Amino acid sequence: MRKIFILEDKCSGCLNCVVACTLAHEESQFYSVASQKEPGRISVEAVYGRPIPLVCHHCEEPACVNACMSGAMQKDLETGAVSNEGNLQKCVGCWMCIMACPFGVITPKKKGSQKVAVKCDLCKDRKSPACVEACPNGAIVFMNEDDFAKHKKKMAALLV
Amino acid sequence: MTKCNLDCNTCTSSHASIQEMHSRAQELGINTTFDRYEDQQPQCKFGTEGVCCQLCSHGPCRITPKSPRAICGASADTIVARNLLRLECHGLSAYCHQFEEAIDTLRATALGKTPYEIREEGKLKELAAALGIDTNKDTKALAINVADAMLHELRKETREPLKLVEAFAPKSRIAIWKDLGIIPGGPLSELRDAMTMTMSNINTNPVSLLLTTMRLSIATGYMGLIGTTIIQDILLGNPGIGKAEADLGTLDPDTVNIVAHGHVPYVAVAVLNVIAEDEELNRLAKEAGATGIKLYGSMDTGQELLQRMNTVGKGFAGQLGNWLTQELMVATGAVDLVMMDLNCSIPGLKLAADKFHTQLVSVSHVLRMDGVDTNLDYVPEKVYEQAKELVEMAIETYKKRGTVNAVQIPRYKSEIIAGVGIESLLGVLGGSLDPLLDVIKSGSIKGITAVVGCTNNRNGHDSASLTLIKELLKKDILVITSGCVSSGAQIEGLQTLDAIKYAGPKLQEVCKVLQVPPVLNFGSCIDIGRITMAVAAIANALGVDPSQLPVAASAPEYLEQKAVADGVFALSFGLLTHLGPIPPVVGGPTVTKILTEDIEGLVGGKVNVEQDMVKAAEQIEAHIMAKREKLGI
Repeated sequence: MRKIFILEDKCSGCLNCVVACTLAHEESQFYSVASQKEPGRISVEAVYGRPIPLVCHHCEEPACVNACMSGAMQKDLETGAVSNEGNLQKCVGCWMCIMACPFGVITPKKKGSQKVAVKCDLCKDRKSPACVEACPNGAIVFMNEDDFAKHKKKMAALLV
Repeated sequence: MTKCNLDCNTCTSSHASIQEMHSRAQELGINTTFDRYEDQQPQCKFGTEGVCCQLCSHGPCRITPKSPRAICGASADTIVARNLLRLECHGLSAYCHQFEEAIDTLRATALGKTPYEIREEGKLKELAAALGIDTNKDTKALAINVADAMLHELRKETREPLKLVEAFAPKSRIAIWKDLGIIPGGPLSELRDAMTMTMSNINTNPVSLLLTTMRLSIATGYMGLIGTTIIQDILLGNPGIGKAEADLGTLDPDTVNIVAHGHVPYVAVAVLNVIAEDEELNRLAKEAGATGIKLYGSMDTGQELLQRMNTVGKGFAGQLGNWLTQELMVATGAVDLVMMDLNCSIPGLKLAADKFHTQLVSVSHVLRMDGVDTNLDYVPEKVYEQAKELVEMAIETYKKRGTVNAVQIPRYKSEIIAGVGIESLLGVLGGSLDPLLDVIKSGSIKGITAVVGCTNNRNGHDSASLTLIKELLKKDILVITSGCVSSGAQIEGLQTLDAIKYAGPKLQEVCKVLQVPPVLNFGSCIDIGRITMAVAAIANALGVDPSQLPVAASAPEYLEQKAVADGVFALSFGLLTHLGPIPPVVGGPTVTKILTEDIEGLVGGKVNVEQDMVKAAEQIEAHIMAKREKLGI
């Protein structure tokens, strides 16, 4: 499967990815409006002054899916994507997934009158994820693991 | 008093009082600059490195490896140089505002319409002579002529060179500036042209933009800094050595407390007059339950009063702190009224004041704040009445003290010896610069560094400036301060005789003989003008150019646009100029190389951006030693 990989050294902390993610998941012309409802499913944390983007790894054995008591969070066996999109009516907002996720990439969101957990869904309705398209530095890439491993090898070789 | 011994990276602030008040603010749910700084992380590196252009609607454009040019074709160097010039314009224009207010005050005073007087006739004559005015006339008439001439200088065309540059700049500097074509005309016309240049696609040549930035910095130096300092001295008196106290512990829990916060001292001086003279208001304060009325300082308005403790600053109750302390002085609950003038009153001040009874009042027509409806804009002719009104308001507000949140004043306070200027320095030295020149020549003092400018949370509240100062002192380098750096140094007791212990053995000896602190307070940020004049006087006495002297300038925690203008002026003046945090130009490789290397061949000074303050002090020392060697001392 293709998933989102981060090349953290290239990140400038501009938050373009967060803006693009928010606008991809909440219909509005303006970030200032959309961000009132949608938190953005990729985040950039400052660690000792360095920006570090965090996003779902769509794990093979997802802790969030195991923890979800209502069955809202599921791993799509075909695409490998871990998501509760499409099952949001099942989400009861118990936040077990938030507790279980070792990467801190699940966030609460208010959807109408209901509070639900939201996370990266790999922008399933788009050609490629919005954050990947928005990054001006190429710090976020959408690849399968073999291609990414090759890419990393090449980058490491360039440094020698 | 015992103070904290922890490493400065552990805490929010270098000051124990601020640390205590920050904890209190957090308990009370007051969001401060320290907290909002954390909320803003991470910050976009395109902005911090200066390669973001938002001027036209094709933008914002950012420079990346994938897009090395903006949509219009501008390079990273064009963008950073153009943005730098825009920052310079902002700084100069704020200085022009303060300068024009000084001119208006001088004129109104000459007409006998203000509580101020012409205190330094000699300086008035010196300024008149520089402007080519016949000084052989009545003082008041002369003051009006000077005010008219200064206003003309402020407004005249760019092609007419500034008279103050001609009169006060070292001849060797003028020659260098002439060669580069950067001797400025009237600052307001210079601003018009510079702002025009920085519009989309008018001046896109990085070198020309940098030269224009330097040209404006010279106008900043000789009009905004030196011109304003001279007029303020004429009206309020030259600085004189005096003692005072600093830190939040100076707040008196039993008095009506007014804080003068900002840069312009006129209203504060009038408030001190009213407190000293108005029996009715003092009676009202006692009736309200207070033992009296006190005026404190915050930032540069306080520094202006500290510099004149024996004259117009008499009665001044203490310096509370600098830019980063403004919300936390309010968090003591013991501040009844903050009178805010010109720049550096942050919107967060209102958020803090809302958690207390504290009233905020603008005393400048350019300052307006969301949620603040009381504005008593300074008018020279009405200032005494305005000051009375401010005191009355403070007494009324005092009655509400403790009704929202209780008073809690940190116990810390330090002594200050302030009031250094050329005249008072000559007084200490026995009437001549020679004793100072002798100790520099003999190496007892290796050199002098002016550590000036703001305070900045990016390198920790005052920790960069305090570390740099202490490192320089160890190396027998005399430090002079002005602006917010002064307040930080005062709170930590660096402007006392006790601080002599921080100096290296040779500097200790000199300070003990002269009975002066190793960190000399030159005052507010406009007093960088005073420092420049002192450096020029030393250069003149030695018969060399300022760039040849064993001196350096540093703004280790620069924050806003006026500081940018000051920094570029130090560079144009030929000094090694150390800056922290790293200015937003490093995204432009050519501009960075020019400012940190190539420019030395043109003006003698260059920018140093070492952010490790221990290493920065070593580099400043190396620079000073190289200059000494060239001078053969």
